[in-house]
Amino acid sequence: MANPNAPTFQEMILALQTYWAGHGCAVMQPVDTEVGAGTFHTATTLRSLGPEPWAACYAQPCRRPTDGRYGENPNRMQHYYQFQVLIKPSPADSQELYLGSLTKIGLDPAEHDVRFVEDDWESPTLGAWGLGWEVWIDGMEVTQFTYFQQVGGIECDPVPVEITYGLERLAMYAQDVDSVFDLVWCVQPDGSTLTYGDVFLENEREFSAYNFEVADVAALRERFDQYERECRACLDANLPLVAYDCALKCSHQFNLLDARGALSQTERMNYILRVRTVAKSACVAWLESQRADAAEGARTEGEVA
Amino acid sequence: MPVRDFLLEIGSEELPSAPLDAARKQLLDLTAKGLADAGLAHGELRVLSSPRRLAVIASDVADATEAVSITARGPRASAAFDADGNPTKAALGFARSKGVEVEDLVVRDEKGQDYVFCDIERPSRPASELLGPMAESLIARLSWPRSQRWGSESVRYCRPVRWIVCLFGPEVVPVAYGDVTSGRETRGHRVLAPGWHDVADPASYEATLEAAFVLSHDVRAARIREGIEEVEGRLGVAVDTPARVFAEVVNLCEWPTVITGQFDERFLDVPQEIICESMLSHQRYFPTYDAKDGLTRTFVVVGNGDPACSRAIADGNERVVRARLDDAAFFYEEDLKASMEDWLERLEDVTFQERLGTLRQKVYRMEGLACEVARLAGEDDDTQALCGEAAHLAKADLVSSAVVEFTNQQGVMGGYYATAAGAPREVAEAIADHYRPRFAGDELPRGFVGKAVAIADKLDTICGMFAIDEPPTGSKDPFAQRRSAIGIIRMLLAMPQVPLRSLIAASLALYREQGLSFDEAAVAREVAGFMAGRLAVMARDEGASPDAVQAVSATGVIDPEEFLSRVRTLESMRSSEAELMDDLAQGFTRATHLADASLGTDVDEALLKDAERRLLRAVEVAEGSVAESLGKGRYGDALAALAKLRGPVDAFFEEVLVMDPDERIRANRLRLLNRFAAAFGPVADFRALARPVGD
Repeated sequence: MANPNAPTFQEMILALQTYWAGHGCAVMQPVDTEVGAGTFHTATTLRSLGPEPWAACYAQPCRRPTDGRYGENPNRMQHYYQFQVLIKPSPADSQELYLGSLTKIGLDPAEHDVRFVEDDWESPTLGAWGLGWEVWIDGMEVTQFTYFQQVGGIECDPVPVEITYGLERLAMYAQDVDSVFDLVWCVQPDGSTLTYGDVFLENEREFSAYNFEVADVAALRERFDQYERECRACLDANLPLVAYDCALKCSHQFNLLDARGALSQTERMNYILRVRTVAKSACVAWLESQRADAAEGARTEGEVA
Repeated sequence: MPVRDFLLEIGSEELPSAPLDAARKQLLDLTAKGLADAGLAHGELRVLSSPRRLAVIASDVADATEAVSITARGPRASAAFDADGNPTKAALGFARSKGVEVEDLVVRDEKGQDYVFCDIERPSRPASELLGPMAESLIARLSWPRSQRWGSESVRYCRPVRWIVCLFGPEVVPVAYGDVTSGRETRGHRVLAPGWHDVADPASYEATLEAAFVLSHDVRAARIREGIEEVEGRLGVAVDTPARVFAEVVNLCEWPTVITGQFDERFLDVPQEIICESMLSHQRYFPTYDAKDGLTRTFVVVGNGDPACSRAIADGNERVVRARLDDAAFFYEEDLKASMEDWLERLEDVTFQERLGTLRQKVYRMEGLACEVARLAGEDDDTQALCGEAAHLAKADLVSSAVVEFTNQQGVMGGYYATAAGAPREVAEAIADHYRPRFAGDELPRGFVGKAVAIADKLDTICGMFAIDEPPTGSKDPFAQRRSAIGIIRMLLAMPQVPLRSLIAASLALYREQGLSFDEAAVAREVAGFMAGRLAVMARDEGASPDAVQAVSATGVIDPEEFLSRVRTLESMRSSEAELMDDLAQGFTRATHLADASLGTDVDEALLKDAERRLLRAVEVAEGSVAESLGKGRYGDALAALAKLRGPVDAFFEEVLVMDPDERIRANRLRLLNRFAAAFGPVADFRALARPVGD
C-alpha cells in the first residue's frame, strides 16, 4: 500500500457502516440478486416510496457486464462495490453528514478539494429521477449524491437523499495505488496483505469472457421472457416483493444481452421499456400493499382501544 | 425620507452553473419589480452569487412608502346605479380600475351633478413590513430549468435552501421558506471558514463573506483571470479558456486558487482533440499551448480548497488526468487495431431515422450524392472518386470506442483513423471536416472533398425528413435542418456551378432507389421552397430589404450564389438608379393589372400600331439580352436590358388605349402586355418592388 496510514478496503466499509449506523442508519446487507447499482436494492427503491421514514446503509456488489475489461484495465470492472446510504426524509445536514464520513475513511475534506458538481440522476429502467451532484475529490468523481424526486414513476414524498460511494475509487485514492487490483483488502494475521486482485482478478477474467463471449443469447432472451411472465404472475398473486425480484432478474438478462452486443438500437430501447414497465408495476403494487397494511394496522388498533 | 440598505441572501446547497447565471439576472429584475410594486424607492441594486448563495443588495431603500391620498371622479351616479340601486357595469369597471370594491365608492355632487367618487387613502407603510413578504415571493418566483423538493417540505428551489439572511439596515427581516427562517448568519467557505458568520448589516455583507473566504462571482472571475495570466507569463504558454467552461469553473468555487498540473509525455501521441475534450468537458481543466500552438503537458486547474494544500490537490488532479487520459489513449489504440470497413458494417445496426433506415443506408446515399456534387462541379474522375471514398468512410467512426466516449469528436477521430489506414490526405481531411459548419460562424470544410461530403450529408437529411413529411417546425428540428441548410448554402457559394435543384433531385432519387415511397416532384418543390426560405433569411441578415429579397425569391432561383448576387445587384440598382427602377416597376405593375394571363403571349403583329410595334420590338430585344445576360450570370446587364423598355412602355401607355372597344384589338394588346410582363419574369418580381413601404 503506497499510503500505509490509509484504511484497507474492508476497514473503509466497516468505517462507513459504523459512521452511518451512528447517524441512525440501519446497516443492511446487500440484495442477493444481480443488480447494476445499489439503487436497485429494495432498501432503496421500494423504501424511497411512501410516507414512512427510513434510514439504511449497506455495501452492494454491482454488476455491469459491459464495463468488463478482462481485468486488464486498472479502473474498470464488470463487478464492483458501491456503499449506499438512503435517508428519508432527507436531513437538513445531508451534505455535512457526508463530508463527515470522508474523514472516517482517511480523506479529510480540509486537506482536499471537495466539490459538488451538478449531475442530475435518472434511471430509465426504474422510472426514477432526482437532482443532485457527483462529488469530486481533487477532480475525481467518488460519490453520487441525489435527492430522489420520483421512483417507479411515483412522486417521492417525503424526499429521500441517496448517497452512493464508489468504494474502489475512494480506496484507490486513499491508499494511493494506480490499479484497483493493488488495493489492500485486508492485512492478514501473519502480516501479509490480501489484495483486491487476489479476491477478484480471476473473477474479472472469467466473467468478462462469459459476458462478452459465452453467454447464450437465445437462453438470455428466453430467460428475460420467463422472468417477465413470472413478474406479472406475482403481481396477479399480490406478491410485489417477488415481482420486484423478477424485475431485477429481467434487468440483469438485459444487461448481459447488451454486453453480448445482441441488441439493435430499437430492440435495446424496447427491452429498457419492458424492464421499466415491470419495475414500475412492482413499485406501485408494493406501495399499495404498504398502504393496505397501514390501514389494517389502524383498524386493528382501533379495535383494541 | 430616511433610507437603509436591504440584503437578501438565499443560502442553498451547490447550485448548478448555468441556472445560477440565469438566476442572477432574474433576481435583479424580480427585486426591482418587487420594490416598485411595494412602492419603495431605492438606489442601486446589486446581485452577488457563489455556488451556495444567491444574494441581492438594494441600497438606500426608503424606510416607508409615501402616503397616498387621491380622489378620482367616476361615471355619473345615474349611469353607475340602476333603478334598484344596484351597481352597473360602469360602476364595477371604475371600482376595478381603481383597485377598490364597489361598496367603497361614494356619490357626491359636483357642479350640480351627482357623480361616483373613489377616495383613496393609503397611509404610509413601513418598509420593514413589506420587505419580508417581498423576499418570500422572490425566492418562490425564481424560475429554474429543473427544481426539486427536499425533506418533508413542499416548496421547490433549484437545490435545497439551507439558510436565509434578510436584513434591512442592521435589523433582521422575518422571512420563511419551507422550514428555513431568516437570520443574520451566513455560512463561509466549507473548509476555510466552516460554520456560521454574523452579518452586521447589508453594507458589510461582502466584507463578511470575504473574511469567510467567499468571493462574489465577478471577483472570482477576475481572480481566476489574473491567476491564469500569471501562469501564462511564468511558463510562456497560452491557456485555452473556452467561455462555457470558464463560466462553469467560476461557478464551481467560492475561493479560487489557480493551480497547474502536468500529464505524462506519452499522452502527447494521442490526438489532442480527445485529450483536450477529456480535460475540458470531463474535468474542467484548461489546456495550454506553446508558442507554436502545440499542446503542452501543463494544464490549469482552478481549485476551491485550502491554498496551503495546493500541491497535494494538484497531485490528486494529476492522478485523475492520468486515469482519464489512459482511458482516452486506450480507446484510441484499440480503435487503431480495428478496421473502418468493420465499423461500417456495424452501422447496419444503428438507426439514422426510424423511417429513413440505418446509418449504413445513409452512407450509401451520401456516397452517391457526394460524387454527384463533384460531377456537377465539373471535377475530374479522380476527385469524384475521392468524394465517394470520403463519404464511404465518413460515418464509420461513430461506432469507434473513442467517439462513443467523446461524442463531440465524431469526424475528427475518423480523420485520424483514415490517415492511419493510409487514406489520401483529402479523404482524411474530408472525414474530419464533414460535420462543419456545426454552428453559426463555424469554419467550412477545408477542401473541396470535405465540402462535397458535408453537402451530401446535410442535404440527405433534409430531403429525407421532407420525404417522410417531417420538415422542421418552429418547435421541432431534431436534425438541425435549418442550420444544415445554411451550411449547404455557405458551401455552395464556393461552387456556384452546382445547381441545387439537380442535387435535390439526385438525393430524392437515392431515397426512391432505397425503396422509400413519396411524391418526388412535390417533395422536390418543398425542399426547394425550404432552401429558398433559408436563402431569404440569409439575404435579409446581410442587410437586403425584404421586397428585394421577395422580388428575387419569386423568380424561383435557389442557387445561393445567383440568388444573393441578384439581390445585391437589385439593391444597388435601386439606390443608384432609383427613378428608372421605380418607373419599370410602375410600368410592370400597370401591365400586369390590365393583363389577362389566360390570353397568352402570341401577339398578332398585323393588328399593331406604331407605338405597339415599337414596344414589341423592344420586348424582343430585351428577351434576347435578358436570356444572354442571365446565361452568363450577368444579372446587372439583364436589369439594364429591361431598363431599356422604359421609353417604349411609357410611350405605349401614352399613345394607346388598351381597352379598345374592338374585342380583337383589345385582346391583342393584352397579349402584348403579357409578353412585356413575361420578359421580366426570369429577372425579378417587379410587383414586389412596386409595393409601397409598409404595404
